[in-house]
Amino acid sequence: MELVVTHVQKNYANVAAIKNLSFNVSQGEIFALLGPNGAGKSSLVRMLTGFTQPDSGTITLTMDGNKYSSIPSHTLGYLPENRGLYPEKSLMKNLIYFAQLNGVDKKSAIEEAEYWLERFDILERKDDQLKTLSKGNQQKVQLITAVIHKPKWVILDEPFSGLDPVNQEKVVIFLSELRAKGMTVILSAHQMAMVEKLADRMLLMNLGETVLYGSLQEIQQKIDSSTHLTAQFSEELDSSKVSEILADTKHSLTNNKTLELSLTPLQSINELLQRLTSIGDLEAMHSKKMDLHQLYLNAIANHGAINND
Amino acid sequence: MIKKNSKKQQVWLVTSWEFMHFFKWKQEIISKLIIVAIGLIIMLWQYIKDDQLTVYKVAVPATMSQLQNSDSFDFIASNAPLKQLKKQLAQEDNWDAVLSETPSTNSVKQITLYSKDKQSWLGELKQTLNQQYTVQYASSLGLAEEQLNVLNQSSIFENKYLDESIKSDNSPAKATAIAMIVILAIGIFTSFGQLFVSVTGEKQQRVTEQLYACISAQTWIDGKILGQMLHSIKAMITIVITGMLGYAFVTVIIKGGIIDFSMIDWSLLPWLIPFALTGVYLCTAFMAAIAAAIDDPNHSAKTSIMLLPLVPMILAFITMDGPSGWALTFLSFFPLTSFVAMPVKMSLIDVPLWHSLLSLSLLVILCFWVRTAAARLFKMGMSMYGKEPSFKDMMRWVAKEK
Repeated sequence: MELVVTHVQKNYANVAAIKNLSFNVSQGEIFALLGPNGAGKSSLVRMLTGFTQPDSGTITLTMDGNKYSSIPSHTLGYLPENRGLYPEKSLMKNLIYFAQLNGVDKKSAIEEAEYWLERFDILERKDDQLKTLSKGNQQKVQLITAVIHKPKWVILDEPFSGLDPVNQEKVVIFLSELRAKGMTVILSAHQMAMVEKLADRMLLMNLGETVLYGSLQEIQQKIDSSTHLTAQFSEELDSSKVSEILADTKHSLTNNKTLELSLTPLQSINELLQRLTSIGDLEAMHSKKMDLHQLYLNAIANHGAINND
Repeated sequence: MIKKNSKKQQVWLVTSWEFMHFFKWKQEIISKLIIVAIGLIIMLWQYIKDDQLTVYKVAVPATMSQLQNSDSFDFIASNAPLKQLKKQLAQEDNWDAVLSETPSTNSVKQITLYSKDKQSWLGELKQTLNQQYTVQYASSLGLAEEQLNVLNQSSIFENKYLDESIKSDNSPAKATAIAMIVILAIGIFTSFGQLFVSVTGEKQQRVTEQLYACISAQTWIDGKILGQMLHSIKAMITIVITGMLGYAFVTVIIKGGIIDFSMIDWSLLPWLIPFALTGVYLCTAFMAAIAAAIDDPNHSAKTSIMLLPLVPMILAFITMDGPSGWALTFLSFFPLTSFVAMPVKMSLIDVPLWHSLLSLSLLVILCFWVRTAAARLFKMGMSMYGKEPSFKDMMRWVAKEK
């Protein structure tokens, strides 16, 4: 089972929402769609669900020996960007209705609903009207709606929005469980720390185009060829002296005793080390990789700069 | 446990959800109990009335002793002065009413009627007196009963039409058709209003995208239309039962008569019912199409279309005086008006069977087209998030789905 998106293009009026986008999603993985607001994530999601069709290019889902041009509704669990349920109805009535629409019999729907409500600590509210719940708890019910029928594909647009850190962690565990059960999850999110923990692979978009694509490791290797170092000194440093000695090296003084440095592949660590010892009494030095948050910010900034040029 | 739902199952789920969304158990039980209570009162009234049958005692002066007793009134002549009779009326239970006659220069009797207070039977008493005095006066003039009847009704008119398809003026069919139009209007506006609230409400609550991920636009629209159709049928049945009970209440309790539904032309019902149901479906599907294209009901110019279903009804009323004319004939075939016009025409004149069948078939075809158009417009709304389509956009989508 694989979803292959090839050279997809989508325009709204005269605005190109998606430009020549290609990627694939394999069975059982968590695939993250990243990008700033207006990057085209929701437009892409709506094409994957079949709500809209691409103007050019193809979306092909191969499943159980059949080919589809979008994810068929009976195999799809969906948390839309524009979401809402019936606020006047109880949690159970909402969940049972959507489960039944997706082919679950009533008895099983009740069992599944109670299981997930228990997992999200809102079982005692099951007969309350949805509108009486907090925004975060309503979000939990919406998440349950997306998976109550055990779909093969789950698309979650901003699953962490409106949740506090504790509940965000619960959603991380929830999504890991879905993957463990063999479901394929496509999610879009702005919480990089969560995505970093969860996603097997990711697609970073900006202005409808691919900016980065692959696993976190692959992206780090591809983009972040620089070496990042942290140098710790035993004494306070003279900032003007630091600037003079490290004029050709990207650096920042995070406090008076710590220096953050980025080396290009052409720069020698030994040579840098000599210069650092001339700045002050070097106590320790260690290297680190950029996290997803930094990668995201750098990539979007660079892509924006390229497009502006 | 989990299987791919058939379209029919999904439509039924949406239908029942839609119906129950507007079905309030408490209100329904209370209103139905009231109807049942009225029915029981009517049924029991005859017995209660027989048990409580009252004959009122009316004191009359000796000059009025020729008055004859009736089922309701005993006229008792008394030589006591009026002042004493009035005192007895006020302080004792001897009399229910006292009459006095004032001398008059002409033949018209001047009678004063005294009673303790306003009573419902006083009207009947006046009517009885009037009848008796009319007969007495006719007799004094030497008029026979037959002559008196001629005076009361000097001519009888009957219309005869050369167009033999026109039914007799005495036919109850026209009353049936008018009643049907009124009932139809209630049914249509019930579903029309509710569907508007339902569709725009779901769009405002942003449930539609969640639903669209589970079911097709057509399934959603079909379920909504059928759910509201059930409400229309419920409203129409309720109004028929209420109307019948109201009629029975007036006839039995107020007028003291017996229930007679002979004014209903039962032979028309097999035609009126399918036309009514198809008409309700058409109007509901039409509303679904409009509401599906409305993004924000508070700022949409399309809400002005809400009163549109009144147009066919008004046209049918205007043209019903010329049942064989081109206007009603055209309206009875034109599918946007035929659901009202054809039943009206059928009630007034004999219509060939193929006319009715053709009219109904065209109506069914239009219903199918409008329901399909409604689903297309809903899809259009989904792809134009936040932007309301113009009528031009709507026509383009209806003509050819993108």
